[in-house]
Amino acid sequence: MIAQYRFRGLFQKYLLALFMAVAIPLAINGVIEAWFGYRDQRARLDQLLGVQATSAAAEIHDFIYGITNQLGWLVQLPWTDEPDERRRTDALRLLRQAPAIVSLTLIDNKGLERLHVSRIGLNRIESRTDRSNDPALAGARATQVWFSDISYNRGSEPYLTVAIAGNRLAVGAVIAEVNLKLIWDVISAIKVGKTGIAFVLDRPGRLIAHPDLSLVLRGAEEATSKPFRAVRDAIGPSAGFATIRDAHGHGVAASAAPVQGPDWTVVAEQPLAEAYAPIYAALWRTAMLLAISTIFAGFLAYALAHRMTEPIRLLEEGTERIGAGSFDHRISIQTGDEFERLANSFNRMAAELGLAQQHQERIARLKRFLAPQVADLVERAGDESVLDGRRTNVVVVFCDLRGFTAFSAGVAPEEVMSVLSEYYEILGRVIAQFEATLISFSGDGLMVLVNAPVPVQEPALRAVDLAIEMQKRVQALIADWRSRGYHVGFGVGLASGPATVGRIGYEDRLDYTAIGSVVNLAARLCASAADREILLDAELAAGVDGKRPLEDLGGRRIKGFDEAIPVFGISFIPHQRC
Amino acid sequence: MRYTSPRSATPHGRGRRRDFLLLMAGAATWTTSSYAQIRSLPVIGYLCAESPELFASRLKAFHEGLGEAGFVEGRNVTIDYQWANGQYARLPGLAAELASRNVDVVVAPGGAPVALAAKAAGTAKTIVFEMGGDPVQLGVVDSLSRPGGNITGVSSLSVDVSPKRLELMHEFLPTGSKIAVVANPTSPTANSQLKKLRSAAETLGIHLQILNASKEDEFESVFASMIGEPAGGLVFTSDPYFAFRSRRLADLAMKFRVPAITQTRDFPLAGGLMSYGGDFMQSHRRAGVYAGRILLGEKPSDLPVQLVTKLELVINLKAAKFLGYEFSPSVVSGADEVIE
Repeated sequence: MIAQYRFRGLFQKYLLALFMAVAIPLAINGVIEAWFGYRDQRARLDQLLGVQATSAAAEIHDFIYGITNQLGWLVQLPWTDEPDERRRTDALRLLRQAPAIVSLTLIDNKGLERLHVSRIGLNRIESRTDRSNDPALAGARATQVWFSDISYNRGSEPYLTVAIAGNRLAVGAVIAEVNLKLIWDVISAIKVGKTGIAFVLDRPGRLIAHPDLSLVLRGAEEATSKPFRAVRDAIGPSAGFATIRDAHGHGVAASAAPVQGPDWTVVAEQPLAEAYAPIYAALWRTAMLLAISTIFAGFLAYALAHRMTEPIRLLEEGTERIGAGSFDHRISIQTGDEFERLANSFNRMAAELGLAQQHQERIARLKRFLAPQVADLVERAGDESVLDGRRTNVVVVFCDLRGFTAFSAGVAPEEVMSVLSEYYEILGRVIAQFEATLISFSGDGLMVLVNAPVPVQEPALRAVDLAIEMQKRVQALIADWRSRGYHVGFGVGLASGPATVGRIGYEDRLDYTAIGSVVNLAARLCASAADREILLDAELAAGVDGKRPLEDLGGRRIKGFDEAIPVFGISFIPHQRC
Repeated sequence: MRYTSPRSATPHGRGRRRDFLLLMAGAATWTTSSYAQIRSLPVIGYLCAESPELFASRLKAFHEGLGEAGFVEGRNVTIDYQWANGQYARLPGLAAELASRNVDVVVAPGGAPVALAAKAAGTAKTIVFEMGGDPVQLGVVDSLSRPGGNITGVSSLSVDVSPKRLELMHEFLPTGSKIAVVANPTSPTANSQLKKLRSAAETLGIHLQILNASKEDEFESVFASMIGEPAGGLVFTSDPYFAFRSRRLADLAMKFRVPAITQTRDFPLAGGLMSYGGDFMQSHRRAGVYAGRILLGEKPSDLPVQLVTKLELVINLKAAKFLGYEFSPSVVSGADEVIE
């Protein structure tokens, strides 16, 4: 559970880190791209609107100059005092050809009106009215082509007066009234983008031309022209387009261009929704790409995090199992990287742990009957062939307590066990000290083997010293027991000779033992030994003769032996208890 | 061997289902058709003083304008026509009829009497007029740019240019000839036109004779009165009643060999001498556009009265030759259309 929780935490960290590593650069890239795209699109829009406004201005210019060009034909020939029928024909023809012209007035070189033709009013021929004070005539004479301010016929239709003087005084001048409503044909044909429009304002900012004629017919009204003037003023003299709300409150992008001559302004405007459509499309595209990339980054991060944490999970699981003792468990990671190396290390470690455990188990097993040093020795030898059955010279040592059965019947079991425990503790220590091999316990007695399975130097001497030490220690113990009122004694019997040694038992319960008459002899010697007595057979006594104080006890009859056997005793000085 | 299909085992069930489906289909048809008839298409009330035959060319222009605004009769708009068939006195009644019907917009084309009748009917719906007169002077609207109320429309300027017709006739005839002006005394614009004509006659130095005609049977006497005037000419004031009877006037003019000028090109086209007036195709077309824009939800107060820009001079050289006259070169070159 905890492992699972920790695993998930690592996965989340990896997932987050990897996701961020992909998503953040993507996002930054997207934002930068969007920003530059936005700038490019704005620049393009600026260019586009600028071109549209300029081209619209050119068309309005063409409209006006188409009229002035045609008017120019009326001021080619010098005037005479005679009535000129041909000029009237020309003027009427011009009225037919230029529908925007409402009336025409021809003025001669003296500033007198010679002809006035009108579509609505009556014509005047040779009225000879003095028009020299007419500002139109003065303007035309000064600048050759003169444009009036806009006037509104009956407060509705925008009219413009155009005056043109000839290249010399003699040819006079022509003053024409132009109905600007006719620009509608031009302005309505101009399309800015798909739904954008162009409109024309005069210098004070009144609406002259707009695709919606009904607005133009109210251009004289402040309320009509004001929003359009606001658009023009928002653009200002600076280059570039402006974004502003139009009369209907819709956002528009607008650019302006001047119409030379009458000094008008043409504004080309496009609804923002349309003008910014490419920008929005680009932003949308970027956003979509970002979203897709982010999802992709998510998948990638998930896959990578999974790939990274999966070996860790396997390692964790493997470690746990090994820790739980399954040393045969192997972690299988084939990532070809550090994880695989780590897994291999774990596997090696598990194998070594398994070996170590086997070793431990073997040692433990050996230690049951071998002194620890001997057990280590056997273990170090690497094989247990020393434990195999063979025939060899051994010294067998038996010892047991005298009067123990009677004692044990008289006291509580706890006390019996306590006494035995002390007793075996001391004996065990002595056996270990002399590197003897413990063969078996039985009640208050035990059997020890010297020179098997590991041969030792001077086995006889060592066995005798072992027996002496046993007696010394146990006697010290017995002294203590006696003080508690327990009356037991301790005897030891030793015999030396050839015996068959080796392991006996079955798989889980193996013992090392010695078989031969020497074992019986030692057992019998022990049985016949009294308290504080150490009995040796002749062979053993010969082995230690001169080295330890021997006492020939003569021949004794030993149970199981036909003849009396020479028996020797060894005296010892018991430890003084302090 | 007879095959029994499992389905034929329940003939009643099938029959019942079919009946049900038919009923459903019928209900659906009934709903859609009746809904379409009742509400789905907007309705234009079209009030006209003349008959469909005489008005065909104007109606065509109106439909063109309507189409420009995106409406096609029968498809997304229906038109409820009220024809007075030349009986102008019936106009108020027909206008009242339209006002009582649930129309979305009233179109009153073909002159001031129609517009005035529609306005007098007191409909709450928007009225789009088409006339030759000055709607401000007639009191139909407050001003050209701000019509005010629920009425707007198009003026063809024909009334304004009556003096031009006098001028053209004066130019056409040798000096000293007698020129008579024919007016319709029942026309709301008659007085203003006569006033302008008198003033123009003074400027031109013409002695003006006024003749009245308000019925078709009075036409002949008008022309007959010119017999005996060796170089007499007739100038017709702008009036729908005259305009829609151009063929009759042309026939009479040729019969009595009298030079005459009217407001509409129908006259020279029918064999008359000449015409000068606003382009009715343009005015009716724009009335159609306005009607469409009203249907699209625009307010009449936002739609200024439009003046027709185009004034056309149409001359018939054949008629002039027949009458024994000739147009001056300046008139010929200034004419918008010359019939040879």
